[in-house]
Amino acid sequence: MSAPRKKRNPLRRTVLPYFVVSPYLIHLLLFVLFPVVFSIVLTFHKWNIISPMEYVGVDNFLRLFQDRLFWKAILNTLLFLVVHIPLQIVVALTLAYFLTQKLFIRGFFRASFFLPVVISGVVVTILWQQLYGMESGVINRVLTSLGLGRVEWLTNWRIAMISIAIMATWKNVGLYVILFLVGLQTVPISYYEAADVEGATAWQKFRYITLPAINPTIFMVVILSTIGGFSLFIEPYIMTGGGPLNSTLSAMLYIYKQAFEYYHMGYSATLGLFFALLIMLVVVVQKFTIESDD
Amino acid sequence: MGTKDIFRTTFLFLFFSWAFTSCSKDRVNRDNELLYWSSNNGGEIQFSNWAVDRWNSAHPDNLLKYQPVPEGQSSEEIILAAVVAKTTPDIYSNIWQGTVEFYSTAGILVALDTLEGFIDFIQQRCDPATILEITSGDGHIYQVPWKINPIMTIYNKRLLAEMGLDTLPQTYAAYMDAAKRFKKDTDGDGYVDQWFGNTSVKLAWYQRLFNFYPLYLAASGGMPLIKDNRANFNNEYAIGAFRFLQELYRENYFSKQDQSAGQDLFVAEKYATKFTGPWEIQYLDRFKREGFEYGFYPMPVPDDHEGPIYTYCDPKSIVIFNTCSNPQLAFEFVKTMVSEEGDLEFLRTTNQLPRRKGLDSIPDFQAFFSQNPQLQVFAQQAKHVKGVDNCEVLTEVFDIISQEYEACVLYQIKTPEEAIADAERAVNVLLRVKN
Amino acid sequence: MKPSKIILFILLSGAALSFLYPFYWMILASLTPEAQIGELGIVPKELTFSNYTQMFSKIPIWRSLLNSTIVASLSTLGVLVFGSMTGYALAKLRFKGREVLFFTIIFTMTLPFQISLIPNYILMVKFQWVDTMAALIVPALNNAFAILMFRQTFKSIPDDLIDAARVDGCGELRIIYQILWPNIIPTIITVAIITFMSSWNDVLWPLIVIREEHLMTMPQLVTLFAVGGRAEPQLGVKLASAVLLALPIIVAYAIFQKHFIRSMASSGLKG
Repeated sequence: MSAPRKKRNPLRRTVLPYFVVSPYLIHLLLFVLFPVVFSIVLTFHKWNIISPMEYVGVDNFLRLFQDRLFWKAILNTLLFLVVHIPLQIVVALTLAYFLTQKLFIRGFFRASFFLPVVISGVVVTILWQQLYGMESGVINRVLTSLGLGRVEWLTNWRIAMISIAIMATWKNVGLYVILFLVGLQTVPISYYEAADVEGATAWQKFRYITLPAINPTIFMVVILSTIGGFSLFIEPYIMTGGGPLNSTLSAMLYIYKQAFEYYHMGYSATLGLFFALLIMLVVVVQKFTIESDD
Repeated sequence: MGTKDIFRTTFLFLFFSWAFTSCSKDRVNRDNELLYWSSNNGGEIQFSNWAVDRWNSAHPDNLLKYQPVPEGQSSEEIILAAVVAKTTPDIYSNIWQGTVEFYSTAGILVALDTLEGFIDFIQQRCDPATILEITSGDGHIYQVPWKINPIMTIYNKRLLAEMGLDTLPQTYAAYMDAAKRFKKDTDGDGYVDQWFGNTSVKLAWYQRLFNFYPLYLAASGGMPLIKDNRANFNNEYAIGAFRFLQELYRENYFSKQDQSAGQDLFVAEKYATKFTGPWEIQYLDRFKREGFEYGFYPMPVPDDHEGPIYTYCDPKSIVIFNTCSNPQLAFEFVKTMVSEEGDLEFLRTTNQLPRRKGLDSIPDFQAFFSQNPQLQVFAQQAKHVKGVDNCEVLTEVFDIISQEYEACVLYQIKTPEEAIADAERAVNVLLRVKN
Repeated sequence: MKPSKIILFILLSGAALSFLYPFYWMILASLTPEAQIGELGIVPKELTFSNYTQMFSKIPIWRSLLNSTIVASLSTLGVLVFGSMTGYALAKLRFKGREVLFFTIIFTMTLPFQISLIPNYILMVKFQWVDTMAALIVPALNNAFAILMFRQTFKSIPDDLIDAARVDGCGELRIIYQILWPNIIPTIITVAIITFMSSWNDVLWPLIVIREEHLMTMPQLVTLFAVGGRAEPQLGVKLASAVLLALPIIVAYAIFQKHFIRSMASSGLKG
């Protein structure tokens, strides 16, 4: 260092910020930009990792549009979202509303709802696989002791994806309870008091005071659960392997299988790219719909 | 920010990036030593140690290094990862016959028939049918058939005796009849809780190797699934096997419970039979309760079946990777490993059958089997076994069959005829695209 | 208490029970002999540790615990160090391309990871990082969410503080770590908890890049143990491995419960 410390070298001043961001730039280049470019290249190739890459033009895309299983996987994922998101909002909102009341050990309730959120999805899935068991599963034992019939939670193809959606809701709902709680607490109590004076019904109070206040939260919950739901993987991977009858085959599981069971790297990258575009599209549409709803 | 800072920043990142790469891969120095990988199954490790020690003491100039395949997801994936990272061993002894074609097509295996003495060796070891089975589509041979585990029906002796069965239910009709009588709701809660049998309901393609495929081979007398690069299975045997299994599930004679999800219900005597291989013997010795008696018999066959009953034998082979510096030497080692003496030692330590002809005519082997009557049944069966067809995309073929299996057998939304026809169509499309 | 409150209390207790009982059942079942798990209710008849000893003999669970700890700690450290650097530059330094960089970061957050999964795997293969911890750690050293968190927090810090430090001759890195860090402890805690947890709980990426058992992370090992055949059909053993996987987080959660909830909630808000 030859220059005196306090006189700042102009060259250094222009270069310095780039050094500060250089770790991220390297990361960006390697793990974000390269993969995006490379995945686009891959979509035009057939490659099983060990043989040389083979250029196949748009074959992968043609195959994608004819690949019924992939479309089924997307529909499955959408079905998951259709069950999961409303369920999540209703349960989270209800619990959050309960928690706005002053109650003994409220903190304990909040903490217990939140517990599954921090636990690994692997644990939750292994656990629920047992809860959902046909014969000795806890849930079916409760049902039979109540005089109700058993439910084929994971072995009936009409039910299996719904079972997974219920489990996912159980796992995540605690987070959304907290988010709604924050949202609900922003509503000034005076609004409700004023509404009481006007003689508003509970539903009217909810519809015209609460709902507008938590609308941004609902939007966020929808977006977050959509993005989370689209990456559904470990639950079906552990619980059902995608069955029965491919009813729980999620798009991510299918992409994983194409890549790491059949080693169709090019095709899998095509599916990944297409699926990513689809996710972005869905999120944009959601954003548009919910925001124009106000 | 001084120069020091800049250095520190850059260094920090580089440190994180490279610190782990340097310490993680200990590459083997193999200038002259050959490296041999076995599976990581306890018995096989013991056998491989024996074989390598014997070789090394006889060939001090050509020492061999040995290690079991690193434990992990599945040995197939480990091998693939090694191929990709170019860290393959010279010799690997536990490759499934069905994946050899995938690797040989990619050009990473040594064509063994180009080695001196291989043809004589293979003709001595295997019968012509086996040699035909392991010959690749390009006419070369890339594998030494090593061991087999034939799939058979295991049965609980007490349960079958209590039913008053005097002969084993060998035909579809007899099996179905016994199954009907066995199904019961023992605790009266309205749900069946004892079933005549069980086989995996999982969708994974390889599960079909242990139910549909052996039934198909048994019924058809060992016909291939793929012939002349076309599906060869749209026939009465495959349809019959599907119908047989479909009825077992439809009537609730077989449990749809996933056997790996909970307890083993065969051990708990809730299942009377199941389809399995010789590994079940050692497993049962560990987990069965006192007085639990069992036996094995061939896969069920159609009522009008004639001739020997074939089955699938889950064959594993030995291959030499083309990264090997001295394939001839590697082959010499393999020869000693699968010599009569080697095979006998292998049989003793692992309870798995060597894939060689005349298993029951070699005196030492005979002596062993007479002490191990349960295994003797498998040795008898070994005369009528098949591996799999040589096909680069075999995994996907089985995956297609598996899809149809689920739709037809497990959920009855297709007739066996439809399911098999659909599978045939899909397989033909697959084979056409691939080639 | 008013009757409506009592009803509310009962409802909430019921809900809390449905979240807690499954974990209670799992822990209890992992301590119950195999044959009795099917009838398990609330109180155990007989306790045993054999499920755990069997599991220890089957999989290197302690080794995977160590691996997970190393991976999660180093990733968290990296994210804190590099995230605050980039966040600082975005908030407090002027340079050409700053806005472009900022929007690129926002864009990468909206980019689904599904796109980069396969190429990233291939990158690992090319670097020969498959089956090394580098594959788990290096790609996790930077994270867009952390950068944005830091940027936002740094923005609220007055420039005077930084200028004063510069006058004293501090380099920029010293400014970040010695002057600014003590002022943004809540953000650091939030970023640390989020990063650590998401690293700890990740399964998909380890499944793809790690095949050697002694390098596997804990969730990966438990997943393969539960899905693959090696648990053999023994439920208790499988559950024991799941309990052990959950335990570190449960303990951490019990102690730092408030931080966890605040961090996760704010990550949700920012996401």
